[in-house]
Amino acid sequence: MLQTRVIPCLLLKDDSLFKTVNFKNPSYIGDPINTARIFNELEVDELVLLDISATNNETKPNFDLLTNLANECFMPLAYGGGIRNFEDAKRIFQIGIEKIIINSASFTNPKLIRDLADYFGNQSIVASIDISKNFFGKYNVFSNSGKKIQNVDPVSWSKKLEDLGAGEILITAIHKEGTWKGFDLKLIKMISAAVSIPVIANGGASSIEDIGDVVKEGNASAVSLGSMVVYQKKGMGVLVNFPDIEKLKNKLKK
Amino acid sequence: MITIVDYGMGNLGSIFNMFKRVGVLSKITSELGDIKSAKKLLLPGVGSFDKAMQKINNSKIRDVLDYKVLNEQTPILGICLGMQLLTKSSEEGKEKGLGYIDAHTMKFSFENKNIKVPHMGWNMVLKSKNSLITNGFVNESRFYFVHSYYVKVQNEENSILKTNYGLEFDSAIQRDNIYGAQFHPEKSHKFGMKLFENFAKI
Amino acid sequence: MKDKICSRCIYDSSIPKIEFDENGVCNYCKMSDDLAKMYSTGKPAGYKEFEKILRDIKKAGKGKKYDCIVGASGGTDSSFMLHLAVKEWGLRPLAVHYDNTWNTSFATENIRKVTKKLNIDLYTHVVDNKESDDIIKSFFKAGVPEIDAPTDLAFAEVHYRAASKYGVKYVLEGHTFMEEGVSPLGNTYFDGKYIKSIHRRFGSIKMKTYPLMTFTNFMKWLLFYRIKKIRPYWYINFTKENAKNILEKEYDWKYYGGHHLENRMSAFNHSVYYPQKFNIDQRNNSLSALVRNGNKDRNEAIEEYMTPPFVEPELVNYFKKRLNISDKEYNLIMSEEPKTFKDYPTYKKRFERLRPLFYILAKLNLVPMSFYIKYTSKSEI
Repeated sequence: MLQTRVIPCLLLKDDSLFKTVNFKNPSYIGDPINTARIFNELEVDELVLLDISATNNETKPNFDLLTNLANECFMPLAYGGGIRNFEDAKRIFQIGIEKIIINSASFTNPKLIRDLADYFGNQSIVASIDISKNFFGKYNVFSNSGKKIQNVDPVSWSKKLEDLGAGEILITAIHKEGTWKGFDLKLIKMISAAVSIPVIANGGASSIEDIGDVVKEGNASAVSLGSMVVYQKKGMGVLVNFPDIEKLKNKLKK
Repeated sequence: MITIVDYGMGNLGSIFNMFKRVGVLSKITSELGDIKSAKKLLLPGVGSFDKAMQKINNSKIRDVLDYKVLNEQTPILGICLGMQLLTKSSEEGKEKGLGYIDAHTMKFSFENKNIKVPHMGWNMVLKSKNSLITNGFVNESRFYFVHSYYVKVQNEENSILKTNYGLEFDSAIQRDNIYGAQFHPEKSHKFGMKLFENFAKI
Repeated sequence: MKDKICSRCIYDSSIPKIEFDENGVCNYCKMSDDLAKMYSTGKPAGYKEFEKILRDIKKAGKGKKYDCIVGASGGTDSSFMLHLAVKEWGLRPLAVHYDNTWNTSFATENIRKVTKKLNIDLYTHVVDNKESDDIIKSFFKAGVPEIDAPTDLAFAEVHYRAASKYGVKYVLEGHTFMEEGVSPLGNTYFDGKYIKSIHRRFGSIKMKTYPLMTFTNFMKWLLFYRIKKIRPYWYINFTKENAKNILEKEYDWKYYGGHHLENRMSAFNHSVYYPQKFNIDQRNNSLSALVRNGNKDRNEAIEEYMTPPFVEPELVNYFKKRLNISDKEYNLIMSEEPKTFKDYPTYKKRFERLRPLFYILAKLNLVPMSFYIKYTSKSEI
């Protein structure tokens, strides 16, 4: 069993899977349900699914698709994207999804996190923050799939989300996402130091080495993989896969 | 065929699908007739102990269950909250449990704030006693757990799997035809499939 | 099985256009023998010819990143081809995969393991799952056997696209008539017009990501880009048994239990659709081929053929659920009178008219000889 969680992160757009680079230029990856089946067969320990268009399209989560997907996943599933109110969240849990992920709604309705954590328990609520680094090296927080800049700084915002009751924080480095250039170790370390809840590092993974680095140097509690699990290699064709478990174990040994 | 008892708590889609995946027919039902004629029963559960017991007691399901399990010795597998319901009582609530196995459900409470409650995540199980449902389990079998309360049996012979989380608790229990698993087999891919397969073969 | 069975292989009188000679040997055996003779399969002359082709491939690939395209499906033939290409032939292949979104993890894992160990790059074309499903569903509704045709043709088109993108002139295909036989035309036919006309009639989602091989594209790849198709297993000795052993040992490659079962659509096609609706069991293609060439005992083959094919437990339900077909509609279509490619517009007549041209193209390795034999002949063998 892996000490550190390594989690495939799939992006949903218009009911199909896509992959972006720096949150732009989505490329088609495949069918969500068949991909979930493959991860089942690869026996990954958990899966994250994010709908990257629901918030901006002002649509609700596709509950039918999620039901079919959850029924095909024989491992825990976390879902985020377009969850704006208590009822939506409740329905997601009823479908059989273990955790929900909240991003944009934390800005427009922060009380939602509090209410959900109180009712369902902190462990079921993951707060997600998308952060980009600008030309001058300053970190900016965005919502709405990277379209709307928010006037908060990453560290204090993370703390606020922890206070509201989030059980985990998913940090996505927009400037690293889809680039295969490795995680933003500085960013992850900074946030891990500020909160006591688990931090999931997302954005930039290219190899098992990167995974080791973000855990050992970035102090990430868990690692999320995007491009690595849907492409054969950088710049090459789509191939659903998961890193070699034995090699991961060795890299993550304490 | 496995009769999955739908008393209104727990999501049953994954359970149904996992049985399907291992080639076993199952049926989700709240119909008394189906439960009465069941060859094997599966008792799921997610949520609070009291609410679950109330739902079971207030419908006619309770009597049928008692008869099937205690008189007809129909094999029954309780999962997660379903396993806790098999015990005599829970610190979570006031209601009495089904009491099919002499055990009690207690609350995880740790001084050490680093051990978070609920216990949520993958964890290992260790065989404490051989059982039909754990046949063929490999050495490092692990399952997905989500629970704030745990079970401790009165008699060691009813414990078939143990797990460690801040303390040692019984992650699977058995008395004759009555089985319980604290973890979620339907979320534990190949490990859960093995357990479901074994249960179907009994 | 029908009463008259070929005395050499196990094709019986139910096979379309089958004829038996005075010794009871069928015309498909003869066709296979003819191909073996033409290509000197497994003989020194065959190896010599293939070595010449290898030299040509290397020459044409000088200065380019890749010198050949090898289709990768995760299956036995293509996986072994990647192994041979690198380990024995010294080539620099680009593995090319068409993902119809019905892959099993057998397919993806086998592709991953083999390409990783051999350090081969992978090019994939993924079709939008909604489009893919719409096309497959339209074939199902059309009542014709070829629900695999959209995938097969797309595979071919994608190979060509990858080849043209990287300036590669050779596509290596894993087809083996020695182990798989020549499939009777009556069973399966496909071309771009066929797919387009069925989709136009029964489909509802516009084709945007599906790589359709139109006649124009086909001619473009052949005459303008001059991309050649080589089938190495037609020249050299090859058995699937041997290939599987090596793949398992060297790459931890896993067998998926039957021909084409690494992809769920093919699995549905071969183990449910063909046998149940058309009474076609394509297992006898490979079984006959193995018996014909002395690689399998005839009685064993007949016995295997008589046993119903293995079906993955909830495959049919997955098919129905994914394509949004109700039980009622499924049962109705499965019991309806089968249709054939002759009931819909295709390029067949055009291919027949251009028969002499295709003979030349076949001789130049621009189209496989079996294409010439099956597609351009009026007698539809």
